[in-house]
Amino acid sequence: MLLEVGTLTTAYQGLVAISDISLSIEKGEIVVVAGANGAGKSTLLKSIAGLAHPRAGTIAFEGARIEGIAGHRITALGIAYVPENRRLFPRLSVADNLSLGSYLFRKRADRDAPLENVFALFPRLRERLRQRAGTLSGGEQQMLAIGRALMTRPKLLMLDEPSQGIMPRLVDEIFAAVQAIRATGVTVLLVEQRLAESLEIADRAYVLQTGRVILSGTAAAVREDPNIREAYLGI
Amino acid sequence: MTATALLQVFASGLMTGLIYGLVASGLSLIFGLMEVVNFAHGEFLMLAMFATFGLVVFTGIDPGLLAPLVAAAMFVFGAAVYALVIRFAMRVETNRGMVQIFATFGLSILMQGAAQYLFSPDYRSIRTSWLGERTLHVGGVFLPWPLLFGGLVSIATFGGLYLVMTRTAFGKALEATREDQGAVALVGIDCNRMFALGWGLGAALVGLAGAVLAVFYYVFPGVGASFSLIAYVTVALGGFGSVFGALAAGIVVGLVEAFTAVVLPPELKSLGIYALYLVIVFLRPAGLFGKF
Repeated sequence: MLLEVGTLTTAYQGLVAISDISLSIEKGEIVVVAGANGAGKSTLLKSIAGLAHPRAGTIAFEGARIEGIAGHRITALGIAYVPENRRLFPRLSVADNLSLGSYLFRKRADRDAPLENVFALFPRLRERLRQRAGTLSGGEQQMLAIGRALMTRPKLLMLDEPSQGIMPRLVDEIFAAVQAIRATGVTVLLVEQRLAESLEIADRAYVLQTGRVILSGTAAAVREDPNIREAYLGI
Repeated sequence: MTATALLQVFASGLMTGLIYGLVASGLSLIFGLMEVVNFAHGEFLMLAMFATFGLVVFTGIDPGLLAPLVAAAMFVFGAAVYALVIRFAMRVETNRGMVQIFATFGLSILMQGAAQYLFSPDYRSIRTSWLGERTLHVGGVFLPWPLLFGGLVSIATFGGLYLVMTRTAFGKALEATREDQGAVALVGIDCNRMFALGWGLGAALVGLAGAVLAVFYYVFPGVGASFSLIAYVTVALGGFGSVFGALAAGIVVGLVEAFTAVVLPPELKSLGIYALYLVIVFLRPAGLFGKF
């Protein structure tokens, strides 16, 4: 098991955002976490990334407990997190944003190899290297945010709503990229509102409602669930 | 007024301005990094001047050569101030701005009081510098070597700072931290560590300024006040948080001060600076230069 979350509860300013969430991810999987706005999806990712502090429960990564560890250490352990609002460094160039991703690595090879990987995934980033990140289109910013995360050489990549605020044409590109990333051996935890598309590329899914897991299973099983079909897929 | 006299005023104003820029750079760097105004900045300068004075007295080494050592010691001091005071002031939930102001203001009072207690309020000066009594004489313009040395140290420092900020991973990390301190953890950067290093660097910069000033200026516990006011004006003029804006603004302040002293009685030489400051605040409240 790469990541194992056990009965996790996180509260924000006294309000419980997620409660008793248990979830596990095998190495090499794409796992989708779905649910309506406010279901606690982002809080779950933030808790794993060390940016929100769980009140109770456990998070184990590669068998070692990581709950309560500071965010920069989590990144160093091999968990990369692309938040919903991307959090690029808008005044810095695309090249600087990417090179900051490899801040933890001093050896040239450790910095260059993932960079080639990112360019292969998103060729247009190579064309925009000198441009300031803040001037990129929404889709390009998302590519850069994913690219920067890949520069940290993660074992687990967590994406929060990567399709949000992006032209439909680019959404397909992002989903294709997620599959390509998994093909390179990186495990993906994907939070998405576009359930239909994400179930197509995912192995398993968890559905959250008001901070709790209400359904989990293989992508196929979740797709066939009558409640899900009605509430999320509109079939 | 003759051309030579004008050139003389320009040259000494320029050198003084370069030093003002160096004094202000650390203040601007720290503000740019984390939006904290260090009201103890003048006392950091005072400490650096006393450190230089003390080292000269005990080692007999020329103060010019001691500047890097003073800068290194101030680096440690600045990082320690962050770790022991500022870090906690930033953690409070309510009225954070006020807490930060009073924390650094309190630190300035503490440092001044400690200096008065330990060193007495007397004025001291370094008399043993090789630079001390020498004057450069070019084409009718006289420049005291200590002033020239200060200007050169300032230019070299800003040059080095530019290279660090643009060419090194540390510089990029510092810039990323000033952009979005909450996002640097995503790439594995510890923002607390960057803040401590930023305070260290800011203190090291004012440390260099202190070492340079100690060669020709009086060293006394209240010395910070005379320079910190100018530093605040310089930082506001250059654009809050802009390190290289502080250099440009420092030069402007130095020149304005020098030329004001020509027109008005010397004791009113600061009048020009504050008049200029008011004009800038009204016309360009963000300062002459944007960020960085």
